[in-house]
Amino acid sequence: MEEVRIGVYVCWCGNNIAKMVDVQDVAMEVETLPNVVIARDYKYMCSDPGQDLIISDIKKHRLNRVVVSACSPRIHELTFRKALEHAGLNPYMFEMANIREHVSWVHNDREEATRKAKSLVAAAINRVCWHESLEKRSVEINPATLIIGGGISGITAALEIADAGKQVYLVEKSAQLGGFASKMCLTSPFMYSTTQMIRAKINKVMNNPNIQVLLNTQIEELSGYLGNFTTTVSEDGRDLELKFGNIIVTIGLKAFDPSVIENYKYGILPDVVTSLEFEGMLKAGKIETRDGRIPRHVAVIHCVGSRNATYHDYCSRLCCKNALKYANMVRAAIPGANIFEMYADMRAMGNGCEELYSVTSKKNVMFLMFDQHNGLPEIRKAGPKDNCDMIIELDEKLSGERIEVPADLVILMVAIEAHEEAKRLAQVTGVSMCGNQFFIERHPKLDPVATTTDGVYVAGSCQAPKDIPDSVAQARAAAARVLCTISKGNVEVEVTTAEVNEDRCCGCQTCISVCPYTAITFDEEKSVSVVNEVLCKGCGTCGSTCPTGAIRAQHFTDLQILSQIDGLLEKSMELKEV
Amino acid sequence: MSKENSKPKLKMAVYWGAACGGCCVSVLDVHEKLFDVTANADLVFWPIALDTKYADVEAMEDDYIDITLFNGAVRNSENEHMAKLLRQKTRILVAYGSCAHMGGIPGLGNFSSKEAILKQVYLESSSTINPGPVYPETRHEVKEGVLSLPEFYNDVRTLDQTVDVDYYMPGCPPQTERLLEVFMAIVNGSELPPKGSVIGALDKGQCDECERKKSDNKHIREFKRPFEIEDDGETCFLEQGIICMGPATRGGCGCRCIEGNAPCRGCYGPPDDVPDPGAKMMSAVATMIDSDDPDEIEEIVSQIADPAGTFYRFSLPGSILRRKINTDI
Repeated sequence: MEEVRIGVYVCWCGNNIAKMVDVQDVAMEVETLPNVVIARDYKYMCSDPGQDLIISDIKKHRLNRVVVSACSPRIHELTFRKALEHAGLNPYMFEMANIREHVSWVHNDREEATRKAKSLVAAAINRVCWHESLEKRSVEINPATLIIGGGISGITAALEIADAGKQVYLVEKSAQLGGFASKMCLTSPFMYSTTQMIRAKINKVMNNPNIQVLLNTQIEELSGYLGNFTTTVSEDGRDLELKFGNIIVTIGLKAFDPSVIENYKYGILPDVVTSLEFEGMLKAGKIETRDGRIPRHVAVIHCVGSRNATYHDYCSRLCCKNALKYANMVRAAIPGANIFEMYADMRAMGNGCEELYSVTSKKNVMFLMFDQHNGLPEIRKAGPKDNCDMIIELDEKLSGERIEVPADLVILMVAIEAHEEAKRLAQVTGVSMCGNQFFIERHPKLDPVATTTDGVYVAGSCQAPKDIPDSVAQARAAAARVLCTISKGNVEVEVTTAEVNEDRCCGCQTCISVCPYTAITFDEEKSVSVVNEVLCKGCGTCGSTCPTGAIRAQHFTDLQILSQIDGLLEKSMELKEV
Repeated sequence: MSKENSKPKLKMAVYWGAACGGCCVSVLDVHEKLFDVTANADLVFWPIALDTKYADVEAMEDDYIDITLFNGAVRNSENEHMAKLLRQKTRILVAYGSCAHMGGIPGLGNFSSKEAILKQVYLESSSTINPGPVYPETRHEVKEGVLSLPEFYNDVRTLDQTVDVDYYMPGCPPQTERLLEVFMAIVNGSELPPKGSVIGALDKGQCDECERKKSDNKHIREFKRPFEIEDDGETCFLEQGIICMGPATRGGCGCRCIEGNAPCRGCYGPPDDVPDPGAKMMSAVATMIDSDDPDEIEEIVSQIADPAGTFYRFSLPGSILRRKINTDI
C-alpha cells in the first residue's frame, strides 16, 4: 500500500462551530496523529478559498486522503469530493466529520464539545486510511418507455414523451383507454365535459406514430434495470418482446365496494347507488330510480369507506367536491327535488372548490353532518305510509338531534382504493407500497414521481388518490424525468455498490432474499452470489447479512467502519485520561 | 541438495493450555503415520505423551524448537508462562485448535467472572460441602514448605492475545489429515504462507463443501433444536429452522458434524475478514426471521436456546465482543 498522507481541515463555519468548539485546538491535536501530514483550521471550508486551500495542499504536500471536519456530509460532501477531483484525487478518498450538527449545535459545554470534536475527527482520520478509489459508472438509456396503465395519467405521459419524438409502449389491461376519468360525466369544480376531454386525448394517442398501444395486455414479468428493461407481452396470440429504458407506472385506482357497510344496504335496496354508478346515469342523461321514476328526494352520503378505521383511515380527497357537483347537477335536472348532503367533514379543497361549496349552499341543498365515531347514517326501506322509498336515520352533529331524512335515490361517495393489480405490479416493477397498497414515491416532498427503483416512475392515483389536474401534473413530471435520462443518453449509477468476493462466497444464499432491489442472483454454475451493480443501491443490507464476509459494501467495509470506531474510542479514552 | 537422511530432523513440541486434551489426542490420531512424523521430527516436549519437564524447556536455547503446536486457551498464570516460554524457544508457533485460535469452549468462561466461577465450583455446586469456605490459593504455607498453584484469571485469552503467533490451525480438534498435510509441507520445505495465516483449512465457508440442498428459501418462523425435527438428511439445516454456523465457518473439516446430521457448531472459525463470526451469524439469522411484527419477532427470537453459547460457542475471547463486562468487579 502506498504511504497514506492525510490532510485535515477543521472548519469554523463562521461562528457556528467556532463558538462552541476550539477549532484551533482540534487541528493541533489531530496533526499529531499517524499519517496526518497537515491539519488546518479555516473560517469557511466550503467557500472557494477554503476549497482552494485543500486543492493546493493536495498538490504541495502530495496528500492522498482528505478529512474535512465541518457540517453534515448531506450538505457539503459533494462540494469537497469535487475539490478532490479538481486536484486529481479520487473523490472517494475523502471523509467528513460532522462537528456542527453533531457537536456545536447540540452542546453547551465548550470543553466537552471540543473533546467530542477531536474524537470524531480522529475517527474520520482512522477511516479514511482505508478508503479506496471508486470509479464512476454509467449505463446507456434505451430511448423507449413503457407506460403501464392507459388512464389519464398514462395517456398524458405517453403523449408528452411521444411528442418529444421518443417511442412509447402504452399497455392497458382493459379493452379501451381512458381509465376512470372516462367514466366521469363532468369534472369538478369547473364542470368540463370529461368525455370531450378524454376522447380528444385518446384520439391523439391512437394516431401518434410513436405510441404503440397494447390493449387487453398485462405485464407479467420484467427483467433488466434502469436504461435496459425487457418484457414479453402477448399481442394477437404472438409473443412480442419489448425493450425500453424507463417505466412509468400509472395503473390508477379501484372504487371501494360499499356492500360491506351494512348500514347502507348497498346491493339490497335498489336505489342505493355508488358515485360511479351515478356518473353513469349522468352520462346517460337520466337521473332516475331503478324502476324509471324521477326521484323527489336525493341523498348524497360522503366518506363511504374513507376516514374510517374499519375501512380506510385516509381521506379519498375527491369525493367532497364530486358530491357538491352532484348536488348541482341534481338541482339542474330536477329543480324541485330535496337534496341532502350527509358529510363527515366538508373537505372540498383546491382551486374553485370553496366557491363551488358556497354556490351549492345557496341552492336549497340541506347539509347534514354526522360523526363517523358515533355511527354511520342508516338507510332503511320506507313504510307504505311514507311519502318516499327510503328513510335515512342519522345523528345530526350540529343540531345534536337524531333525525330521519326521506330518500328515493341515495348516492354513496365511495372511497378510492389502490388498484387490485397494485401488489402484483409492485413485485414485478420493484416499487414499494405503503400499508394501503398505494405506491411509494422516492421522497414524499422532494422526489414525488421517482421510486426507489431507478428507471421506474409513478404517476396518478396509484400513488395516492388524485384528481385529474394532479394526475396530469404528475404524469408530465414523470415524462420530464424520463426525457431527461433519454436526452442525456446515459445515467450515472451508484458507485458505492456491494461486491461479492467469489473466492470467499460459499453459496449459502442468505443474501438473495434480503436485497430490496432484487440485485442479487445465484450463479448455479460457480455456486456463488452475483450482484448486479446497476440495480444495487449500496444499501449494505447484503453486506451485513453475509455470514461469510464475502460481500463487501464498498465505501462501508467492515474494516473502514471498525477502524472508525477504533479511532473514536481510542481518542475518547486518551482524552478522558488527560 | 542434501540427501534425505542427512536432513536435520525438525524439533517439534505440542503443549496444552486451557484445553480438554482433544487436540493432543488429534495429534496421536495420526496412528501409524506417527512413524512418518518421528522419521522427520524429534518430539522434544509433549506433556500428554512424554515426560519432559518445564525445566528442560527452560534450559533450551531460544528458537531451539522448530515448531510448537500450542493448543488450549490462556486462562491461568501457568498457561501464560508456558505460552511466553514456548514463544521464546520456538521458531514457528502455531495456535492449534479452537481454544488457542479463538478461545474455544473454555472461552465461554468470559460470559462469567472469576468470582462467579470459583463460587459455583467450590461453594454452590450441589455435590460440594465447603463450610470454610476454602478457595484455591496461589500460595499456601505448610510446615513442609510453600505450596503454590497457578493463578486463575478473570479473563480467558486466545494465544495471540498473549504472545505473537505465526499460524493458526483451527478446529475442535483440527482434522488429523490437515495436520499431516501441514506437517509434511513444512518437512518438505514448501513455501509457507504469510505469517498470521490460517492453515489447514479452506478459504470458503462450510456451505461450499456441504452437500445439503441450499436455496434462498431461508425464512424461519420457528427456531428448532435438532431433536425437534425429523431431518430429511438433504435440506439445508437453516432452511429447516435449525441454527447451523456453517456459512460463518471455514471449511476444511470435511463437514464432520453435518455429515453426521448435526448442524455445524463453528469450531473451524470464521473465514478471513470476519472479525466476529458470532455477530455475523446473528446478523444473518436475523434476516431469516419471517415476520414484520415486532412482538412476533421477539417471540421467534426467544426460541433460540442459549444464543450466546450458540453463536459464540468457540469464538468469544477472540471476537470483538470478547467478554461480558463484569459489573461486580
